[in-house]
Amino acid sequence: MSQVPSLEPLIDISPAENATPSRFSLAATFQEERFFLIVAVFIGLFSGLAVICFRLAIEWTRIGLLGSVPAPHSLRVLFTPALVGLLVAILVIHVFPQVRGSGVNQTKAALYIFNGYIPFRTAIGKFITAALAIGAGHSLGPEDPSLQIGASLASALGRRLELSREKLRLLAPVGAAAGLAAAFNAPISAVLFVIEEVIGRWSAGILGSVVLSAISSVVVVRWFLGAQPLFRIPTITAARPTELLAYAILGVVGGIAAVIFAKAIGYFRPRLRALPRWTFYFQPALAGLVIGLIGYLGAPQVMGAGYDYMDQAMHDQFTWKVLAILAGLKILATILSFVSGTPGGMFAPTLFIGAMLGGAVGGVERIFNPHLTGTTATYALVGMGVLFAGFLRAPMTSVFMVLEVSGNYSVIVPVILANAIAYVISRSLQPTPIFDLFTRQDGLDLPSLEEQREESVLRVEDAMTQPPDPILDSHATVGDANHQIETSSGAIFLVRLAPTGWTTVGRDLLKQLTSEGKSEMTLGSALPTTRLPYLHPDNPLEMALRYVHESPLVPVVSRADFRKLEGVISAGDVLNRYRVVSR
Amino acid sequence: MNRSEIKSFTRNPPVVIAGLVFLAVLGFIFVTRLVNRFAEQQKALARHLYAQGMTDQKSGNPDRAVEDFRTAVFYSRDNFDYQLALARALRDTGRTTEAEAYLITLWEHSPQDGAVNLALARLSARQNSLDKTIQYYHNAIYGVWPADADTSRLNTWFELVETLLRMKARPQAQAELITLSAELPRRVDLQLRASDLFMAAQDYEHALAGYRLILRSDRDNTKALQGAGEASFHLARFNDAEHYLQAAGNALDSDANHFLELSRIVLASDPFDRRLSTSERNRRVRTAFDQAGDRLQACSNGLQDQSASGNLQQLNLRWMDLKQRLTRRSAAGNEEVINSAIDLVFQIEQETEKVCGAPTGVDQALLLLAQNHVGVEP
Repeated sequence: MSQVPSLEPLIDISPAENATPSRFSLAATFQEERFFLIVAVFIGLFSGLAVICFRLAIEWTRIGLLGSVPAPHSLRVLFTPALVGLLVAILVIHVFPQVRGSGVNQTKAALYIFNGYIPFRTAIGKFITAALAIGAGHSLGPEDPSLQIGASLASALGRRLELSREKLRLLAPVGAAAGLAAAFNAPISAVLFVIEEVIGRWSAGILGSVVLSAISSVVVVRWFLGAQPLFRIPTITAARPTELLAYAILGVVGGIAAVIFAKAIGYFRPRLRALPRWTFYFQPALAGLVIGLIGYLGAPQVMGAGYDYMDQAMHDQFTWKVLAILAGLKILATILSFVSGTPGGMFAPTLFIGAMLGGAVGGVERIFNPHLTGTTATYALVGMGVLFAGFLRAPMTSVFMVLEVSGNYSVIVPVILANAIAYVISRSLQPTPIFDLFTRQDGLDLPSLEEQREESVLRVEDAMTQPPDPILDSHATVGDANHQIETSSGAIFLVRLAPTGWTTVGRDLLKQLTSEGKSEMTLGSALPTTRLPYLHPDNPLEMALRYVHESPLVPVVSRADFRKLEGVISAGDVLNRYRVVSR
Repeated sequence: MNRSEIKSFTRNPPVVIAGLVFLAVLGFIFVTRLVNRFAEQQKALARHLYAQGMTDQKSGNPDRAVEDFRTAVFYSRDNFDYQLALARALRDTGRTTEAEAYLITLWEHSPQDGAVNLALARLSARQNSLDKTIQYYHNAIYGVWPADADTSRLNTWFELVETLLRMKARPQAQAELITLSAELPRRVDLQLRASDLFMAAQDYEHALAGYRLILRSDRDNTKALQGAGEASFHLARFNDAEHYLQAAGNALDSDANHFLELSRIVLASDPFDRRLSTSERNRRVRTAFDQAGDRLQACSNGLQDQSASGNLQQLNLRWMDLKQRLTRRSAAGNEEVINSAIDLVFQIEQETEKVCGAPTGVDQALLLLAQNHVGVEP
């Protein structure tokens, strides 16, 4: 990693960090928030433009290197991926060391480790090397590189504008969403993916900027390349409820395929990286040679991103046997391309494998039950979602991605069902999601939404205790209160104030008030008017930590009736609860 | 402005935004040029591949044509003609499912397009789906055609009728023809085509009416004369048939010649002709009676399956009995004997046709007279 430059806020509108809140700093913060949203729009525009150039570069490379149609039994098809693999390896080792792999993890690392810093050189390197590799037929896709290019552009722009460190950190996911949205022409999926995989947690603070950048980049792409969805889907009939079983089977098959795919990558990636450095020059070339051989022997469909072949599969061009073979070969080709460190993404290959596998499973199912109404296109679409959910482990993105790339909502029920099954199978057989696995293999530990989902959240109700008896009323006199607490052993008592609110009073204070001759005064007039903060049973336990130092007891009240006491919580209760969990 | 003032100015948010807008505009201009160049290249590739596909198709290489069209569609996804060509090529190579998928996509995009509906109709016909075939042909007939819409519509309508006839849907074909002929412009070639189709649909009345309409404006039209003759023949109007077919002269094909010959035989054999004298009528009955006897004898002799000979034997007994009565001198004026004889002739011809197959020559003429029991028109 290059030297991270000084990230001190320099722009006029940035708030002075660590400064005490004042009217000026609040106004500045507000201004920066607005400015940040505007910057997000520009990031979207620039990312959209960059991604269009990237796509054109891939196409030109493909036509230049492989011809207008990659034909089997051509020496060009056999050797081009290997030769370009060698060139890409040299570029990656000597010129652009940051561009290995997909780019999703690097963007996430930028967000959590490098304060949002991604060198601009990364964008250039990713652009050149990924365009070369994908255009030459390596089995990788343009989406993850687009994500990284977008993030890198955003980071560069943020630095140029001298945004505050906090904002600079947030720019990486904003750019990532823009890049991915432009690559997929699918803003919702891009936003969800960035939340699920890059940010790794739900954060309302950044959502607005991410959405704005994603939408503006999609607008740019549609302006230049048209608004049609990624695939032209033939007529799809909505599945009858009884046919959902067929899609459930697809979910099972897809889930298992996703696990095999992920485990193979997870197994080979660190082993190939552990080989001597000189082998790094030849790994992409060897992967390219095998892919070229696959293409040469009759399956050029597995080369490159393969979107046109997915389209053909949806239009019934292949038999189920061919679809199954293509799915298998694509898994092999993608594993080779990816573990060899060739820059490129996993999205397109995942969709390709899913489409082919879905079509094949649908074909087999129709042999056994010719009455199934689902077309190959339906199964291929559902298959895409299944692999996405099972392999990339982004369940929400997988559903919306299918809807957005197809522009068809009639498959939503089968997609949700099959994706859920594949996701559950994948989680059971491969506990660590693929991107988390890569981060760990790279020696990093970054947050993930799946981990967060699995964490049990402690709430106030888990630590609160019964309120001390009696509960005193502010209308009662000090004398009556003394009388009421005679039978109690507690030292601190809660007092219900009128009309609402709570405070505490100690046994000693009550005695002192009596000795001062204030027995006939009501508690409301004798005690200080300070009201205690209160909590509700469903509040996170961390929230209690903010208040327990202010009072020995914090009342926990009903959300429907603030005068109704559900329990009390003290610093001791909170700590005891955390102690139990840590044991 | 000193350096720090310039720096301060450039950090001013409106200035920054203006700078970003400027950069975006530059980016848009650059990418527009790039995309235009790319699109031109893609279009050129697509055009080349489309032309190559058309050549392949013409030179009888449909599989290669499919690949060419497919790549052309890949490079120019929105081009309607390329997609339609691909769908047609797929249909012609028997990949009907894929062709249908493409056509349905096109249809969803332009449901009113005549060419797409026509291609879908042809595909449905290939899949033997009668309802869909009619539905898509109707869509095509009433759809939008880019050029020469009237001709395209009429051709599609004719094609619908021909397809229905091929699919053995005669009632539907007749119904379509009646509507079509009502809307036909007064053009001989179109009326002739419609009349020929009426003939193929075995709607001889309408066919004859059509041919007559043509002959009203073009009395020497040999095709119309031949058609009118054949239609008249099928309607058992043998006088008219002979008249039309004779008028057609040497232009007759072999079928028409046969019909002419047969019409002449029928007219020469018909004992019901009201213009005949009694003696001539009797002569014709006797000749027919002898002819039927020969036919019965020949049929019985050549019969392999003896189980079918029962009826023939009975007919033979009746024939021999009637032969004796017919040869008596008194038979000439005996209407009952004459009528019985001609009834028997008809029965023999019909029965021998069932047992021994279709007759020829005079027997065929007698059979035709039998089938049109009431006789021929004066």
